[in-house]
Amino acid sequence: MTSDARFVNLKAVGSSVIPDEAVPLVEGDGRFLNDIKLPGMYQVAFLRSQHAHARLNDVDVGKARQLPGVIKILTGKELLGKVDPFRSMPNRFSGGESIQHWLAVDKVRFCGEAICAVVAEDRATAEDACELIEVDYEPLPAVTDPRLAEQDDAPLVHDACKNNYLIKREYQRGDVDAAFRNAHVVVKRAFRIGRKQALCLESRGCVGGYRESTFTLTVWISHQLPYVVRHYLANHLRLAETDIRVIVPHTGGGFGQKASIYPEEFVCAYLALHLRRPVKWVEDRLENMVASTHARDQSIELQIAADKNGRILAISSDVWVDVGAYSTYLWSAGMEPLQTAGLMPGPYRIEAMRYCTRGVATNKTPVGPYRAVGRPSASASLELLIDELGRRLKLDPVEIRQRNLIPLEAMPYRNANNLVHDNVNYLPCLKLAVAKSGYERLRKEQCEGNPDGKLRGIGVACYAELTGLGTSTAVGPGTLLQPGRDAVTLRLETTGALTVAAALPSQGQRIMTAMRQVASDELGIRLEDIASISNDTAAAPYGFGTFASRTAVFGSGATIRAARELRGRILAIGAFLLDVPVTHLTITNSVVHTLDRSRSIALRELAEKSFFSAKSIPQELNPGFEVTAFYDPKFGSFAGGAHIAVVDVDPKTGEVAVVRYIAAEDVGTLINPAVVEGQIIGGIAQGIGEALLEELVYDETGQPRTMTLADYLVPSALEIPRIELHHANVPSAALGGFKGCGEGAIIGALGSVACAVADALIQQGGDIHEFPATPERVLKGLGVLRAE
Amino acid sequence: MKPAWFDYHVPRDLQEALHILDDAGQEGRVLAGGQSLIPMLNLRVLSPAVVVDINRIEGLNNLRAGKDCLTIGALIRHADLLRSPDVCAGWPLLAEATRQVAHMAIRNRGTVCGSVSHNDPAAEHPSVLVTLGGTVVIAGKGGCRELPAEEFFTGTLSNALAPGEMVVELRYPRPPARTGSAFVEFARRLGDFAIAGAAATLTLEKDTCDHVRLTILGMGQGPFRAHAAEERLCGRRLGPQQYKDHFAEAAAKVAADVDPTDDVHASGRYRRHLAGVLAQRALETAFVRAGGRLG
Amino acid sequence: MAREHRICVTVNGRVYERTVPVRLSLADFLREHLHLTGTHLGCEHGVCGACTISLNGRSARSCLTLAVQADGADVVTIEGLRAQDGTRHPLQQIFLENFALQCGYCTPGMLITAIELLQDNPDPTEREVREALSGNICRCSGYQAIVDAVLIAARQSRAARASATP
Repeated sequence: MTSDARFVNLKAVGSSVIPDEAVPLVEGDGRFLNDIKLPGMYQVAFLRSQHAHARLNDVDVGKARQLPGVIKILTGKELLGKVDPFRSMPNRFSGGESIQHWLAVDKVRFCGEAICAVVAEDRATAEDACELIEVDYEPLPAVTDPRLAEQDDAPLVHDACKNNYLIKREYQRGDVDAAFRNAHVVVKRAFRIGRKQALCLESRGCVGGYRESTFTLTVWISHQLPYVVRHYLANHLRLAETDIRVIVPHTGGGFGQKASIYPEEFVCAYLALHLRRPVKWVEDRLENMVASTHARDQSIELQIAADKNGRILAISSDVWVDVGAYSTYLWSAGMEPLQTAGLMPGPYRIEAMRYCTRGVATNKTPVGPYRAVGRPSASASLELLIDELGRRLKLDPVEIRQRNLIPLEAMPYRNANNLVHDNVNYLPCLKLAVAKSGYERLRKEQCEGNPDGKLRGIGVACYAELTGLGTSTAVGPGTLLQPGRDAVTLRLETTGALTVAAALPSQGQRIMTAMRQVASDELGIRLEDIASISNDTAAAPYGFGTFASRTAVFGSGATIRAARELRGRILAIGAFLLDVPVTHLTITNSVVHTLDRSRSIALRELAEKSFFSAKSIPQELNPGFEVTAFYDPKFGSFAGGAHIAVVDVDPKTGEVAVVRYIAAEDVGTLINPAVVEGQIIGGIAQGIGEALLEELVYDETGQPRTMTLADYLVPSALEIPRIELHHANVPSAALGGFKGCGEGAIIGALGSVACAVADALIQQGGDIHEFPATPERVLKGLGVLRAE
Repeated sequence: MKPAWFDYHVPRDLQEALHILDDAGQEGRVLAGGQSLIPMLNLRVLSPAVVVDINRIEGLNNLRAGKDCLTIGALIRHADLLRSPDVCAGWPLLAEATRQVAHMAIRNRGTVCGSVSHNDPAAEHPSVLVTLGGTVVIAGKGGCRELPAEEFFTGTLSNALAPGEMVVELRYPRPPARTGSAFVEFARRLGDFAIAGAAATLTLEKDTCDHVRLTILGMGQGPFRAHAAEERLCGRRLGPQQYKDHFAEAAAKVAADVDPTDDVHASGRYRRHLAGVLAQRALETAFVRAGGRLG
Repeated sequence: MAREHRICVTVNGRVYERTVPVRLSLADFLREHLHLTGTHLGCEHGVCGACTISLNGRSARSCLTLAVQADGADVVTIEGLRAQDGTRHPLQQIFLENFALQCGYCTPGMLITAIELLQDNPDPTEREVREALSGNICRCSGYQAIVDAVLIAARQSRAARASATP
């Protein structure tokens, strides 16, 4: 299903406008980080730890320094006292502080941790020099299993964190004990999801420039949050924030991995200042596998207490997340553990819940935010258990979900995790998915069996996704960083064209196209007369940035507010120039005109007059055409969906193929339907990858075993079926009725595919608790390969 | 991921190439397609001092489908095989296996001789060469020699080349009439390194198995020739009621005999299981293609 | 010294003579020496496909080709797909109209691979399109819009051929 009509009802919002943003990209004229070249630019390579846990007794750079073409080798010792290391962000549930030096000083705590930065005339020479650096490691015992790492006798990754807890929280709401005591049925299940990473096709990178313009330091960085980068650069480099300019070039994927603050880019910026020359660092894929944040790697033990009708009375969960060696800077190690446990209820009516969640440090790459963070694993574990509850009560997966989803009539509904659900179509989405999939026939076919011997599995998953969070919630539970201050500036230019400026970088989701569409409708200005600026702290107003499925809500809301003010100013001048009351005027297709169209003036002419013949217009009517507005929706807007996955399992090889996939989504009012569709299908693809293919493997000494793209497998065009996408949208309460759509789909995909595989195995008397559902795990689940 | 330095030579004739390789000894590597060598250089798992680019050498791009034998020169790319109707018709096992090699862009550059020389345990070509009873033609400063396929493959990523030698040609006998073949591979995604695979040829004389060859790949040490399984099948009557059981038995023997290693993609136990499954699939498919009668 | 080598290579119809380090990849030669940054590096070990260019008329991974190996060769990159007058290649236009790119990083490789597919097989099935593109990783799109774009391109060519034949 592809959206058709270029314009729908002559409105820009709701039309699949072809994005101007895509033009340079399709023509090969993108400017990604590695495309940036400045005269005299040096290149950086990092020497990285070969050990998961070791003392650094000595780092001898003598030989490396002599290599022709080497400019400088920076060590952790040299940075001591000059820059501030990353101390884990304050979080109410911290188990202790983790301090991460930009370059390791006394200790390395994960394979791949940066030890030295080699600056050379070219990257190859820098890598040559790395090979000549001699490091005297004193290996220390490594911890790699959270369940062992939390034992009292386990080696500590950070002395300040007892039991290696970077985060630990217990929470309860409602009388959970009573619910379990009085329940008609209690079901419990273990769930495990492996470690993964965003695998952006473009890995990270940074160019630091000294006095490239009026700013002392210009930093080009492949990142989702330019203003946040600027803030922390200023803090850590001890520069005035106003001396720094941050520019985000075209970005080849982000997905949250490019939303953390990492040492390498900050080292790069430091070097540019120190050497007074442009310095570039491009993360190659080998580095990316160990240096950029990982995600998931969770064990969940979940219980449901239900009544005889299958209504969930309470849930209780124990969560362990292997958060790696450091509390990721900006978000803290709390992200995954707190979200997984805290958002467990999903779209279901759950009055009572309890959890104990732990972020346990190990000697692996730190875990950071990645698309939907804790929600996919929370949802998958719950969906699998709901299916089990259904089996116990002889209720079909659809039936038991129907009994538990929050219905529209109950909304606004405050769930056991204190989130209020409103304006979201959980049940209609499920009904739509069931109808469009031909669910009953699917089940019938499943009973009849496949002639080719494959095992058919059907999985249903419903999800809730809180998008467009405002200041009512912090960036993550327990963190003290609140987003919610994102501005959009609208500026009418001297020719009557409009510029929309916002520091909301896209990595393909066409945010500025969407903002232009909103501005076009609000102002009556033609889309082709509207341009955008983003990605540059010198040109766009303050914004927290692109993450957490927020830009559609925030950006649109701010655009609408700014547009209303700007419209007022334009019409005031128009009324003066046309000598009519302002209430008689409107703007259509970049022309200011009376409602009866008897008088009009083109915006171009109005603008030129206002700028160049300003004395002919009363000053009080001509305050300028630049308007900046913020929008804080305060509370988030729930998006939701129901996904149905159909899989075929080969009982001889264990291979799983997704043969059909139906998604029914509520993502609010659509701005650009084709863009939304791309986001949803892309999210589903990543969820299928999570369910079946993607896993970062470590051995017991903390050595990574999945080191290249031949080892870490992401879905190709053959692993993703044609996605049948349907909508049951209801507007949110936010300005414009918009919702975010970047992350919901991955939640539905992990859940539905996990349930489908389990369904296939359970029909044969087997089961599966660990994902990705690799062929080997499937065969073990079928009892074909006995678990060792 | 930039390679370490090396000295690069691009000789115009074979003797010059062999001379340079001989001088370089263990430090020399042949660059043909580069699809195996260059990733290793980029990852710096290999840093040879000398790289000899053979792409300009005359006479190495011979591809000849003769009456009795197919010869493939050192510069023949995987894609060249697939574009040859004679190869596809006369050596269908080779064509079927070559289609599984990575993706088009790799097949356009990678060479068959290069894949054979590299002998990655997961690669398709070594096992096909063994199953088809092929010969490896080796050139060195001292002259040329030939080795039967099985003697060429000496272990994981190892071959019988002495330092300074290179493979210049592969020879594949033409399979006799009433031969069916099948190449079956299991990989996580199309084009990935195989976790396990089987290359089988089966020649029928009426219902009887006149000739069978079966090689398993992905077991960790290079192509595994399933001699015991072959012996079980050779001379057996494979009628419509019997063939399934015989193949199952042969497959079980394969699974018992292979000695696969664990790695990040699969455990040895899983590989062993797959070896049996794929051996059976390959034998059954080869049987059908040989004209075997089904029940 | 055998560490530098003079090469003469045609890229997008223009002939270049350069002296290059022998260890320089074709990808880096195009990007750094010729400033054709449209070809992208995603892995430098041949798996992701972002670096795919056309070498002597066939697709190839420019990260797995040394620049010195391109001596005498004819290379086409994404920048070479447009017509002399700047008009986009029909497939580029279809990609744009069908939202077949998001971040754009995989796009150069996708285009080159798809163009080769349609040359070899002008009327592919959806399965054949997916197989041909299976060596090009896209992390953003889930492939559907890209596959559809290629099928549309095939349909349009078919229609053009049909209307051209008398």
